[in-house]
Amino acid sequence: MTVPALSLKEVRKNFGPTEIIRGVDLDIKLGERHAIIGPNGAGKTTLFNLISGRFPISSGSISLNGTRIDTLEPQRINRLGLSRSFQITSIFHRMTVFENIRCALLWSQGYKYSFWSPLWLQSSLNRRAEQLLDELNLLGRRDLQAGLLSYAEQRSLEIGITIAGGATVILLDEPTAGMSHSETEYAVDLIRKVTEGKTLLMVEHDMRVVFDLADTISVVVYGQVIASGKPAEIRANRAVQEAYLGALTE
Amino acid sequence: MEIVLISLLNGFVYGMLLFMLASGLTLIFSMMGVLNFAHAGIYMIGAYVAFEVSRMVGFWPALIIAPLVCAAIGAAIEVWGLRRTHHNGHIAELLFTFGLFFIIERGVQMIWGMLPVPYRVPTALDFPLFSLYGINFPAYRAFMLLIAGGMLLSIWLLLTRTRIGLIIQASLTHPNMVSSLGHNVPRVFTMVFAGGCFLAGLAGVIGGNYQVTEPSMAAALGPIVFVVVVFGGLGSLAGCFIASIIVGMIQTFAVVVDFSLSSMLGGVGDWIGTKNLLGEILAVPVSRIGPLLPYAMMVLMLLFRPRGLMGTRDT
Amino acid sequence: MTAPVTPSAIAAGQGADAQPVRRNWIWFVLVIATAILPWFFYDWNTGRHSGFLLTMLSQMGMMIIFSLSYNMLMGQAGLLSFGHAVFFGLGGYSTIHFLNAAEAGSLPLPLELMPLMAGLAGLVFGIVFGYMAAKQRATAFAMITMGIGELIATAAIMFHNFFGGEGGVSANRMIERSLFGVDYSSSIEVFYLILAWTLLAALGMLFLTKTPLGAMANATRDNFERAQFMGYDPRRIRFLQFALSGMFAGIGGGLYAITYEIVTFDAVAAPLSANAVLMTYIGGATIFYGPILGATLITLLQSGLSLLSNAWLIYVGVLFISMVTFAPAGLAGMIQAHAPVSRAGRMGRLVVPYIRLSIPGLATLLGFVGLVELASFLTIGEAQGKTLVLFGNKIDVHEVMPWAVAVGLLVLGGAWLRFEVKSFALVWDDVTADLKQRSV
Repeated sequence: MTVPALSLKEVRKNFGPTEIIRGVDLDIKLGERHAIIGPNGAGKTTLFNLISGRFPISSGSISLNGTRIDTLEPQRINRLGLSRSFQITSIFHRMTVFENIRCALLWSQGYKYSFWSPLWLQSSLNRRAEQLLDELNLLGRRDLQAGLLSYAEQRSLEIGITIAGGATVILLDEPTAGMSHSETEYAVDLIRKVTEGKTLLMVEHDMRVVFDLADTISVVVYGQVIASGKPAEIRANRAVQEAYLGALTE
Repeated sequence: MEIVLISLLNGFVYGMLLFMLASGLTLIFSMMGVLNFAHAGIYMIGAYVAFEVSRMVGFWPALIIAPLVCAAIGAAIEVWGLRRTHHNGHIAELLFTFGLFFIIERGVQMIWGMLPVPYRVPTALDFPLFSLYGINFPAYRAFMLLIAGGMLLSIWLLLTRTRIGLIIQASLTHPNMVSSLGHNVPRVFTMVFAGGCFLAGLAGVIGGNYQVTEPSMAAALGPIVFVVVVFGGLGSLAGCFIASIIVGMIQTFAVVVDFSLSSMLGGVGDWIGTKNLLGEILAVPVSRIGPLLPYAMMVLMLLFRPRGLMGTRDT
Repeated sequence: MTAPVTPSAIAAGQGADAQPVRRNWIWFVLVIATAILPWFFYDWNTGRHSGFLLTMLSQMGMMIIFSLSYNMLMGQAGLLSFGHAVFFGLGGYSTIHFLNAAEAGSLPLPLELMPLMAGLAGLVFGIVFGYMAAKQRATAFAMITMGIGELIATAAIMFHNFFGGEGGVSANRMIERSLFGVDYSSSIEVFYLILAWTLLAALGMLFLTKTPLGAMANATRDNFERAQFMGYDPRRIRFLQFALSGMFAGIGGGLYAITYEIVTFDAVAAPLSANAVLMTYIGGATIFYGPILGATLITLLQSGLSLLSNAWLIYVGVLFISMVTFAPAGLAGMIQAHAPVSRAGRMGRLVVPYIRLSIPGLATLLGFVGLVELASFLTIGEAQGKTLVLFGNKIDVHEVMPWAVAVGLLVLGGAWLRFEVKSFALVWDDVTADLKQRSV
């Protein structure tokens, strides 16, 4: 029995008297591409926030590769190998594209809180950043202020920042939100490329993306997982169809 | 024993004065997220305006006119100043009020000069109300308590019994939600800001002749009011009240307490001596260290319990 | 899917990565000019330098270091501190004690290295107070720095050990130990010491911005959470930035101690902390050299304008809130906004609009200044027995005429200014849109 990459056991979360997450049990295997879907307000982003340490859980446990992470600060969780993107693009608008990626690389490249190493002399760091930008197809934009990129380019940068640190478990929160058809296709290809060999957990509304990328789907409704399995099973699942009436697109 | 009782009364009066200032500040801060640095400046304007009005028509009209002037100034600041800086962020708003305080202080200095002005207690109230152990308790202090108490009561009634009060209460803890519910939040903001300034002006009217009316009064009282607000906690007027009384008591009692930390520690104090800084700190009597205490309290509170005594949100 | 690529956006990325020496020639010129400036005011008859100029330039140097160090917090880390003078002053107090120790023989250091010791003192205090302050969120941080500031300032008046109470502490800077054999008996020598240290400190702080800590400080400022998800503890970043900024402020304080040979509670008091905020913000917190501009301007105003007008601090205050409201990027920001226009050679188009702006602008300014000055002479001036003299004519502040003129200038000038600002904005938008077009 291999240790699951991410394991949630009986996770509950109250905000005051309201229980948002009402007992979630979820195991994500190593290398899995797992999508979380569900109606709005079901608690999907809250789950992400709990896993990534933004909010503390009310009860239960969350483990990353066997280590308990539900009491850790976000940066500790990140250093253990979990990284996330945000629903609302979360890049550094005032820095250039290049500087954004370089910052994302700093910790994993061992620089920590150094205030004695001049950045412009770090050739391997800078090369790695350029490499990454190339993979993201943003190399031509490297010296542009990130805030001036188009929305879709910003989302690409967001993904880039998320994976730059070398995390093995990647959480993507609605990565294709607000994109056009062609932008979405491009994003899906990018996600597939950069999460090669890693464990992917994503929240998505666009069913095309879900069925394209995911090998496992979990459905969250009212803070609980009502179904979990292969895409074909989920499609056929009655409870899911009821909960999602009209929302499934082909 | 007499000292304790007298100090208790004086401390309470001072605490109420602080509350008048701090309540406006807490309301504004909790609702709008703006730490109004100019608040103590408004207090000072209230005192000076009251001085001028008393000179011309008398104290009793000043009691009403000065706070109204301050409220008008507050409304003007909010509408023409804060609203414009709002979209630049909280830090911009804070800096704006900070710059405003600067200008108010210099302006007052310029118009009335650097020396204290003779803003005195009105003769009608300048008599000892009663005698306690041979020490007179001035009627004016009772008057101050009356005004402050009346003000407290009116705020409480306003907040709990009127519709606008409920909106304000809600905005104290959930400002964004109130806005989403469709209330004319800008108008509420202007009202609250003007209201806070009204209170500050009123405090200036009765505090200006209780203490000295001079250009440095704002800088002297301002930080203490911040201490109270932080100590009491965001979003809670009750906490603000308790904090005001505590700080008022501490500052009043500190003046009469003569022992020092080293005298309490006995031999240790002598061993450290007074030739070094540590020894000096230990040896200084509490009465001299009085001005330091509120700041020490604030720093400690922020270190160990950032939400203050009864705050609903972290500072 | 392409975004407009503006020259400024590209320039923003160049930073020091591209030909630092060539791009920053103006700073070399300025440094050299400052170094030789005192000699233009040298009185060749008496063999003396202009005391006024040297004092002002020395003060500028200290304030430049002070405000640059403040910007490490405000502009780079997004932290608003109201107690920054603490590090400046404590650095000064420490230096006085170091100087006394040097004179007594227990600290055999040359004078040139004393600011380094001051910096170490500043660093130590930065670590102590930073530990307390860096954990806090924005407003709490402002409050706790204010509290610490008030605590130290009150303590400085109260305690005689270390602080010397109200009278402060003093020392002799001529400790007869120097790396270059200088005895620092004359102010020109002290001036060059300050110039050298200002340069060192500024370069040091510039270097910091290009290190991982500097980059992540900016990141933490812009997006706290994102920085966490890059593996960084934003509070640790703030702590380090705070401690280092304390170090540099301490250096400024050390120079202060060396120059004036006495340090009192003014050096830790609230007005100096307020000064840091004003200088840094007016100069421009978002660009590295902004605080240099701010410190220079405020020191000039302090040295010059204060002699001309009682109300000069009001002008500073009004300038400040005007910047907060209309130009949050400060002077440096306004200058920088013109960089792409200049590079594209389009500055010519702005000449006439600026002239059109300056006339009503000047009128409004005159009206405002007039009102303030009239008011000040009505109150303080009279008490001091001064009268307002304009171009050799005595002006009676009790007459209606001068007031009417001032009000008229202010109101009419203001209305005309609003009109001109709108048309200027149109021209500006036109020019920048044009730039975007050309680069695509």
